[in-house]
Amino acid sequence: MHHAKPKHEFEPKIIAFVCTWCTYAGADLAGTSRMQYPANVRLVKFPCTGRIDPVFILKAFQQGADGVLVSGCHPGDCHYMAGNFHARRRFAAFRKLLEFIGVDLQRLQFSWVSAAEAGKWVEVVTELTERVRAMGPMREFKDLALEEQWSGSLTTPELQEAYEAI
Amino acid sequence: MTTEIIYSAVGEAIRTEAERVLADGTVAAVVGYTMARRKGSAQPVVLTKPEEANQLIFSAACVNNLAVYLTKAKKELPREGRIGIVVKSCDLKALVGLLGESQLKRDSLYIIGVPCVGVLGSTLQPSVELNAETVADKCRECDDRMPQGADFVPTVALPASPALEKKYAVEIARLEAMTPAERWSYWQEQFSKCIKCYACRQVCPFCFCEQCLCDRNKPQMVEGTPRPAGNLAWHLVRAMHLAGRCAGCAECERVCPMDIPLNLLNRKMSRELKELFHSEAGFEVREKGPLAEYNEQDDQSFIK
Ligand code: SF4
Ligand code: SF4
Repeated sequence: MHHAKPKHEFEPKIIAFVCTWCTYAGADLAGTSRMQYPANVRLVKFPCTGRIDPVFILKAFQQGADGVLVSGCHPGDCHYMAGNFHARRRFAAFRKLLEFIGVDLQRLQFSWVSAAEAGKWVEVVTELTERVRAMGPMREFKDLALEEQWSGSLTTPELQEAYEAI
Repeated sequence: MTTEIIYSAVGEAIRTEAERVLADGTVAAVVGYTMARRKGSAQPVVLTKPEEANQLIFSAACVNNLAVYLTKAKKELPREGRIGIVVKSCDLKALVGLLGESQLKRDSLYIIGVPCVGVLGSTLQPSVELNAETVADKCRECDDRMPQGADFVPTVALPASPALEKKYAVEIARLEAMTPAERWSYWQEQFSKCIKCYACRQVCPFCFCEQCLCDRNKPQMVEGTPRPAGNLAWHLVRAMHLAGRCAGCAECERVCPMDIPLNLLNRKMSRELKELFHSEAGFEVREKGPLAEYNEQDDQSFIK
């Protein structure tokens, strides 16, 4: 039986940076167990959360993500012993920086999802997707990236119109 | 006026000490300040002979953090032997940070510390008097005017520090009170001024990577052009890479031709890291900075 999928005005793009050992396996389990979760999420697999550089998050936002999820093994379960402990500190600091320059932290979620926690994966992804959907598209970074491609100023009505249409 | 008396005594002591350590072979070179062409201005200098030691000076125009000459700009340094270096407290903290990151060895340095009452915020008029108006912003909130752990510190009595308005603290509080959208537009306005000259990177003692992430183009993580997206990314990457390392010398902010408040980001991050992980730049060598180590009990309230 398929659930009737509700139609939405806005489908947010969610990029999930996950570690291969826990969260990726957890998401895989959700899939093989045929659990339903929003198709808005695009997974990018890394060896470890310790490999996830804050600049990836920036890049994701610039390239059109409306929300970003970073997820890995629970503390103590890291395949490389300490990668997630390092990541935890780095992201604690990075959140403070983003907050200070005016980014809404509601669009950025961190979680620990183990290979067995398919249910938690579904929960985390659904919650983030719905939250971001309610917030609407993330304009700030995208606008900067768009501006980057324009040379000159957007002063003529024709240009402005073309710009709006992108 | 007292500033001039203190600094001329400091200068005298530095000359005597530099001459002594160069003459008895303790050091192969001394990195210090000397008079520059314009009246009252100062510039960095590397000296290798005892008879040159009389060129050394110290004044409120000695703004540079000379630590950068030990890591990146070391062309003029002799390859062998200990190096003497003149440092203010903030510069010393940068040295200490570099020691902690294994970029320098303590026994290859001879540290000449300067008892400091502040330097000028701008050297456009190098001979103006140092006062509450002209002093650098970083000096307004400095609590460590006496360097600690140096090999030589001139003995001079420093007057009590005047209570000056802490500009960074006030500005951080002002920004924190704004809404995220207001903060975003404030920083966009600042970052949009950036011309990507990388003077801030060049002058920072901690930006010693041989290839900066921001110069790589395969993959290109940070756009190299001085355009909006790349500017934002550059400033975030810079702030992040210096978080937990920055010594607060404010050289980046001083050299920025576009007057972007770089040290404001540095101060904010330093404050947050102190609160989160109880670690800040100081006179004691930290084996690892706050973002290079971890504690299993670290806060994770922001993680689901
Ligand atoms: S980031 Fe700026 S204030 Fe910090 S150490 Fe580098 S130059 Fe000095
Ligand atoms: S010194 Fe100023 S203008 Fe130059 S790259 Fe740094 S922030 Fe940008």
